[in-house]
Amino acid sequence: MLNDMEQIHREILDRRRDNRGLPPYRAKLIPEVTDILAQYFAHILPGAVVSGVRRVGGGASKEQFFFTLSQDGKDEPFLLRMDPRSAITETDREREFVLLKAMQGIVPVPEPVWVDAKGDFFPQAAAIMRVVGGVTKPSLSGVKVSGLGTWLGPDLRLKLRDQFLDHLIAIHAYDWKTANLPGYDVPDADPKQAARWSFNYWAEMWRIDEGATRPVTALAQQWLADHLPDTAELVMTHGDYRTGNYLFDEDSGQITALLDWELARIGDFHEDLAWVLMKVFGTIDADGTFRASDLFEREEFIREYERRSGRTVNRQTLHYYDVMSSWKTTVIVAANGLAAARSQHNHQDVLLTFLAATAPMFADDLVRLLSQGDNQ
Amino acid sequence: MIPTVDERIASIVRSLSEVILPHLPPEASLAQEQVQLAIGHLQILRGQIDHIPAYEHEELTDAVAIATALLSSITGGSAMALALDALRASIGGADGGDVRGQVRAIHQAIEQLVQAVAIDGASGANAMLTTTILEHERARVAKDRKWFLPFGFDTM
Repeated sequence: MLNDMEQIHREILDRRRDNRGLPPYRAKLIPEVTDILAQYFAHILPGAVVSGVRRVGGGASKEQFFFTLSQDGKDEPFLLRMDPRSAITETDREREFVLLKAMQGIVPVPEPVWVDAKGDFFPQAAAIMRVVGGVTKPSLSGVKVSGLGTWLGPDLRLKLRDQFLDHLIAIHAYDWKTANLPGYDVPDADPKQAARWSFNYWAEMWRIDEGATRPVTALAQQWLADHLPDTAELVMTHGDYRTGNYLFDEDSGQITALLDWELARIGDFHEDLAWVLMKVFGTIDADGTFRASDLFEREEFIREYERRSGRTVNRQTLHYYDVMSSWKTTVIVAANGLAAARSQHNHQDVLLTFLAATAPMFADDLVRLLSQGDNQ
Repeated sequence: MIPTVDERIASIVRSLSEVILPHLPPEASLAQEQVQLAIGHLQILRGQIDHIPAYEHEELTDAVAIATALLSSITGGSAMALALDALRASIGGADGGDVRGQVRAIHQAIEQLVQAVAIDGASGANAMLTTTILEHERARVAKDRKWFLPFGFDTM
């Protein structure tokens, strides 16, 4: 049963394992990226001219660049999203591209235009999309109260919270059954398959990247294997839904694009809810009040999700995915990130080792969650 | 030791922050981010470096303590017997030499034990394993969170 997972995830894991011995990766220089883009468009769009290539700051996984494409007297801005050799999350550009296409008109997303899924033209797999205006955090987020999550403040919070929740509900309501989504397998062989696919993928990723175990991590992994929940309803999940992964207009507070769909899959909506509710992505006020993504208190979020979606949140299933979220983030920062840095396969090794310092926070989450027992 | 480690790190931080960073062009956003992170890392290391041996030895002491508690409290079938033997051997080698390697070996042996309990742990073994690990890890995790507080992520 350990091999039971989506086909694309099996391919990603095999690629991760196969790439371990490759030589170090160096961040691409602007002239190099310009040259790669020029060669690419000479092939697919002869006559188009690439200019103004500049690196996009932030992010911990992809190399991203803005550039202008000029053709027939018209200039258009685009975003190049390119994999490094290894990243803190190992994903598939074509799969993300397919879903971004499918989500047009459902929720605000960037429009994907070209993809080089196998890295035929680019050094690694890459996708190009139209640029969407907006920011991922307020200009004054330097005055953040505390924690890793972005502090939005009361005005933006009020403007963003309904959209944030309604978009999540729209993703979960997406009719994937009638859509053409190549690369997305459906975990419907038995009621536990959705949870098992997720568990198996991250467990194998942990083994491949030789995560340094500790007792509570081992205990959590065994607990997750022993308590796979049934999934009552299969929905499209985003996989990394939180403040920081959407763009918004700072003046109007309008969400202009939901980003980072690379972990999306058909699965259990509780997996998204638990991810949203992770402490690390939220903020804590001076009086100890926690707000998920600085938008909703935990119970308020669950209650509002139930009210607006018409679904019932199963507290036991949510607890399972609470544990899985903290375990998964442990895999991401303490195995994937450190392995990418150790192998020198990333352009931001120093960021990856910096982020690994969050691992004890997730261990603390696991101690707290597992102390609550099996039944919530 | 002349120069001291502290003096050497301080000089690197000053070079990065006052000589290199201001001279990076505005468009070199990745380089600027990386230099700032490198400075942050070095400043944290500067504050921690004298305490690293004590921290790691305490980590080993805690690992031996949890392993000893597990050895004395749970039993089971043949898979458990093998895992318990491996755990016993791992703490037998914990002589304080290669501290990091010894902590890793004990933690790996505990991981095997956790898996073995699921295979043929005796009645009550799983509950005892869970209680013991959570009790010890609660204290250990608090120390680790405190150690990494200077990174600015945590709010403990």
